[in-house]
Amino acid sequence: MSLPDAERSTTPMVEISDLTMRYGRRLIHGPLDLRVHRGEILAIVGGSGSGKTTLLREMALLQRPSSGTVRMFGADAAAMDEAQTLRARRHIGILFQNGALFGGMSVLENVGMPLREHTRLGRALIDEIACVKLALVGLTPDDGLLFPSQLSGGMRKRAALARAIAMDPDLLFLDEPTSGLDPLSADAFDELVLDLKAALDPTVVLVTHDLDTLWRVADRVVLLGEGRLLADGSMPELARSQDPAVLRFFQGTRGRAAQASA
Amino acid sequence: MDKGRQETARTARVRLQGSTLSCAGDWTVRNLAGLEAELQRMRWPEGPLRIDLAAVRRMDTGGAWALQRLLAELGRGQRSVEVRGLSPKAAGLLELVRGTGLEPGGVPHSRPRGLLEQLGRQSLARAYAGIGLLAFVGEMGAAWVRQIVQPRRIRWAQIAEALGEAGHRAVGIVGLLSFLLGIVIAYQGGVQLRQYGASLFVADLVGLSMVRELAPMITAIIVAGRTGSAYTAQIGTMQVTEEVDALRSLGISPLDLLVMPKLLALIVALPLLTVFADIMGILGGMVMSSVQLDIGFMTFIERLGVALTLDSFLVGVGKAPVFAAIIATIGCYQGFQVSGSAESVGRRTTVSVVQSILAVIVVDAAFSVAFSRLGI
Repeated sequence: MSLPDAERSTTPMVEISDLTMRYGRRLIHGPLDLRVHRGEILAIVGGSGSGKTTLLREMALLQRPSSGTVRMFGADAAAMDEAQTLRARRHIGILFQNGALFGGMSVLENVGMPLREHTRLGRALIDEIACVKLALVGLTPDDGLLFPSQLSGGMRKRAALARAIAMDPDLLFLDEPTSGLDPLSADAFDELVLDLKAALDPTVVLVTHDLDTLWRVADRVVLLGEGRLLADGSMPELARSQDPAVLRFFQGTRGRAAQASA
Repeated sequence: MDKGRQETARTARVRLQGSTLSCAGDWTVRNLAGLEAELQRMRWPEGPLRIDLAAVRRMDTGGAWALQRLLAELGRGQRSVEVRGLSPKAAGLLELVRGTGLEPGGVPHSRPRGLLEQLGRQSLARAYAGIGLLAFVGEMGAAWVRQIVQPRRIRWAQIAEALGEAGHRAVGIVGLLSFLLGIVIAYQGGVQLRQYGASLFVADLVGLSMVRELAPMITAIIVAGRTGSAYTAQIGTMQVTEEVDALRSLGISPLDLLVMPKLLALIVALPLLTVFADIMGILGGMVMSSVQLDIGFMTFIERLGVALTLDSFLVGVGKAPVFAAIIATIGCYQGFQVSGSAESVGRRTTVSVVQSILAVIVVDAAFSVAFSRLGI
């Protein structure tokens, strides 16, 4: 978007206030306030069904909240017209939980898709940039010729990540980036996220319940539970917290194991 | 600053002055479009070259790749190229894309297939599809036998559900279309017959054509489009989400659970729908005759009694179970042929409807020839 540079650094990338989501009578999350600052890696954690993914979808402008506001790059999402929303979306990359690669296209075409749609670059250049993105996520140009149904779970995540960063987004949403991966691939994927962060410097919002990812990747962690934000802080801070809800989540057997190895 | 000027200020551009190439603007994917052509038109001077990037405001991986590509091209002729004015971030990005080891033009492409290869592959695919369908029919036969031997394998609940879906929910559309078809035939036929003073024979025309040919056919076509496609889409989606494999793993034959109830239900539903279409078609003809030809309902029905024989009715309704078997078999078979993606579900559903309708019409023509040989 077109913010003056001075304002860029201080305006939160995403700011939600009083955000409520309910399906019918069921409350998914109560009024929430959260700011995502430029350049940070924010992790949203919580048990299954705590509304993490719903919150991510609202922040990524994929779902309208029942009430409350989402401000994206400083502009109120509800007040944006279609063209403005589209412009905001081009600065957002999303990695969906199951990849959501288009089945009818090769991996290379999948990655090149946003470039083909939003730029007027030549085909050869688009394919080359797509190959660069594939290389950044650890896939070879030859993998680009495969179709999504021919990929393993880990490769699919990588290919989906390559598509998410195709336009060098300022804001990257990752929905359960390591779910369904074996521990080695999950570790490698964590490293990949850190490498990309170092190289392209996007702001990253990720939803996970992988405690290893939290220790290794996240700058800041918010814990979502009972429809509220139960805790907000860096991982070492949360680990020291005496709040019973936080203790329950982080001090289980797995939580301690993850902390020990971090 | 107005929008147009802002756009131009952002566009990535280059200018060659002597042996210095000055770059400016935003070298980001969104603003690179003109650059490629501009660089291609460039006449490079002999000797060493300097690239000055000090005026570049922003750079992303796309821009870094464009630069790397330029450097690779210029460096090819052993020319020394000096890059200056690169911001630390841009230098990092350049290092990053360089680290991928990708060459310009190094994108692999899937080999295009020759005409002969395509012909061969297509023929083989068709042959396999034919054999596959035959095998599927065989498996269905085996499933029939299993169910007759062990009647407890018959899934009555699924049959009832499929019957409701394929049968009574289709009543409205089948009734409406046959009624309209009856009107059309009575109208078109009546105009011709009146010229010969044979208006009354409109009852023969409507009655025979509806009952023998049109009602079974139109019903089968509607059901192929409505129910056959649903069968393909349902089984196909289950195939994509591995639900079919889940059934197999639980020791439940997908054929028993997914195919046989649909087949049995359709074999029952289609003849019933055909009878309904007969009635509605004749009703349409009657209404049109009374409006346009002044033939009263009673006169029409009396004439119908003479013209329509039990044979004609049975010939029409008797074809329906055959059509039903064709539609259910092709619909389910195509569903199991789905592989991998949502696109495949769509493609298979189209194939299923086209093949069912084609098969129904071909078989109907074969029936007509056979019946006329047999003198029925």
